[in-house]
Amino acid sequence: MQSSMDVETVPSQLQNESGSLPPKPLFEPLKAHEMSDGRVQFRKVNVPPHRYSPLKKIWMEIYTPIYEQMKIDIRMNLKARRVELKTRADTPDISNLQKCADFVHAFMLGFDVIDAIALLRLDELYIESFEIKDVKTLRGEHLSRAIGRLSGKGGKTKFAIENATKTRIVIADSKIHILGSFANIKIARDSLCSLILGSPAGKVYSKLRAVTARLAERF
Amino acid sequence: MATKSEASLNLDLDLLHRLKSTEPPVWLAPRAELSETARKASKIIFSYLRTYAPKSPLDQLLIEGFDAEQIWQQIDLQSQPLLSSLKREVKKFEKKPEEIGKIREVLEGEKKVVESVGKVLEGERRVLAEESDDFDEDLDDGLDDDDEEEEEEEGSEGEEEKKGKGGAEGGIEDEFLKINELQEYLEEDEAREYGLKKDSNDSRKKGGRRVLDNEEDEDEDEEDEDEEELGVFGDSDDNEEEDEHRQKLENAGYEDFFGSKRKKAPKKNLKSIEELEEDSGLDDEEDEDEAVETKKNDNLSTHEKQSEQLRAEIEKMEKANLDPKTWTMQGEVTAAQRPKNSALEVDLDFQHNVRPAPVITEEFTASLEEMIKKRIIEGQFDDVEKAASLPSKAPRELKELDENKSKKGLAEVYEEEYVQKTNPAAAPLTFSDEQKKEASMLFKKLCLKLDALSHFHFTPKPVIEDMSIQANVPALAMEEIAPVAVSDAAMLAPEEVFAGRGDVKEEAELTKAERKRRRATEATKRMTAKKARDNTLLNDNDGDYLIFS
Repeated sequence: MQSSMDVETVPSQLQNESGSLPPKPLFEPLKAHEMSDGRVQFRKVNVPPHRYSPLKKIWMEIYTPIYEQMKIDIRMNLKARRVELKTRADTPDISNLQKCADFVHAFMLGFDVIDAIALLRLDELYIESFEIKDVKTLRGEHLSRAIGRLSGKGGKTKFAIENATKTRIVIADSKIHILGSFANIKIARDSLCSLILGSPAGKVYSKLRAVTARLAERF
Repeated sequence: MATKSEASLNLDLDLLHRLKSTEPPVWLAPRAELSETARKASKIIFSYLRTYAPKSPLDQLLIEGFDAEQIWQQIDLQSQPLLSSLKREVKKFEKKPEEIGKIREVLEGEKKVVESVGKVLEGERRVLAEESDDFDEDLDDGLDDDDEEEEEEEGSEGEEEKKGKGGAEGGIEDEFLKINELQEYLEEDEAREYGLKKDSNDSRKKGGRRVLDNEEDEDEDEEDEDEEELGVFGDSDDNEEEDEHRQKLENAGYEDFFGSKRKKAPKKNLKSIEELEEDSGLDDEEDEDEAVETKKNDNLSTHEKQSEQLRAEIEKMEKANLDPKTWTMQGEVTAAQRPKNSALEVDLDFQHNVRPAPVITEEFTASLEEMIKKRIIEGQFDDVEKAASLPSKAPRELKELDENKSKKGLAEVYEEEYVQKTNPAAAPLTFSDEQKKEASMLFKKLCLKLDALSHFHFTPKPVIEDMSIQANVPALAMEEIAPVAVSDAAMLAPEEVFAGRGDVKEEAELTKAERKRRRATEATKRMTAKKARDNTLLNDNDGDYLIFS
């Protein structure tokens, strides 16, 4: 009884003495370069040989948004065949560096700059990569045929999936990369997997239509 | 007498031979000499028979100046009483067969003469038979002898009457079939039914005929026929043999028709009597009893005869009643209770519960086709129409899959999505909206045209000028569909067609200096472009690293 009483009395005491406590400290968010103890952060992205000349052609389009808008230093290490990114003093957010690194990485995977730019602009976009052999072990002609089935004639199947699911797909030999939001990636991945497993394009289309219609209705 | 007869016989034979030797076709046409020979021959035969017919008024056959009919009548005059006498003789022989033997001796003397004559006649008869086949049709009715002879004469003028007659018979008649016999039998049968007839004569006559036939065929043939004729309407005293004869007819055998194989004349009568006895033994007991009774009784009166017939019928009916009925009269009959395939013979009557199949005739098909045509013209088909289901909910908008590479980048796609979510009004038009817009545009154009056609006071809409692409097509082609004269005046100005400097020379046309000049200009262009690119790179990078070139 006494303790409870004591307890009750204590806050009242504190309240009476509120002016004696120091004010809550207010901290400003850390700047990018202040994180990790004020050191500069780097990111390095390897350039695969088949992306070397496209990178040369399109360098300015990559450079401008990163340097201007994301405020990240970017340079190309020719000897090491790398793209290097570094935070600057006025980088607003530490996540910018990661975003830029992802952007450059997306380009290296094979995505177009205009599609990869979305990574810079939107937070919730991800890239998922998987191989055909993860889905089904195919060899030789079967593999070639599966790849053919995936892209379709003139790439129309791939574009259809892209347009329906609002994703971007890159098919590089056996590797498949999908860029988009999480749910859309899932849908695209399901369609691609069914194509790999052998279902005809028409079937995939009908499924796509149903799913996207449902998705659209939800919002 | 013998010499005379021999001489005359030789003469006769000579005549007959002559007749026989003539070719058959010769007989077809009437000839005087043939007629003469025939008449003489008949006269000779007539005189032969004269001896047997004492009662005949004529001593000889008169042939000069007489025609065929008259000659026939003369022959008839002689032969009628002759036949009756012969009949009497035959009856006598039937009663007393032993007297036949006596005749034989008498006959044998004359037999030779008669036989020779008979043979000749036979030969001639065959000849005539070939000719007279045509006349056989008339004889099929079983006419009397007179009729036969008349028709014969009509057919063949001046032919031998007797021979013609014999020939006619030979055409269709043989030992078995004798038309006169047939006729006589029919009349006999009819008479028997009414109880007027006594057949004893016939039986005797038949026996007599058999006797005669075997020895002298044709000579006595006509006499036999005359006998038969007489016999039909003549009086027959014997009633005993009526039933026997009937029985004999019922149980006729081979011998009755064709004679026994051993042709013995005197025994024929005996045989006939034996057959009668045998037949009587073979018949049914009733008949036998009847025959016995009737044999025993005297003439039955008509009443008795009728009553006998009735009794016979009654017995027959009673017998039928006692017997088990035929299967058609029994009620339900299974297949085992009736003979095999007997249902096929009987006309069964039962109901068919099946509608008979329609007979496909031309009218049927024509009517069908007409109906089909009518229906097609009307458009009235009996198709099963699907009942339209009520729309339960609004049809969902089908999102079309675009198979082309999207022109917008991913970022823009998401941007649009975001904008639509937050601010629907400011959102750019979607693909479906664009389609709607296009559709509305088309519809407006169509409405404009329709208004122009349908309104009395039509005011066209104001023209909104916008940029249009000019096609480089001759002006006239744009204005007229059918150009009267082709004009080369193009819509575009010359500088619009080609804008460029004067150097329109091809590579091959250039001189060396000009080629060099071109290369130099291109090089300078390239250099300037490179410089512009490098400048930008240089400005941005540190000097430490290599510059792309």
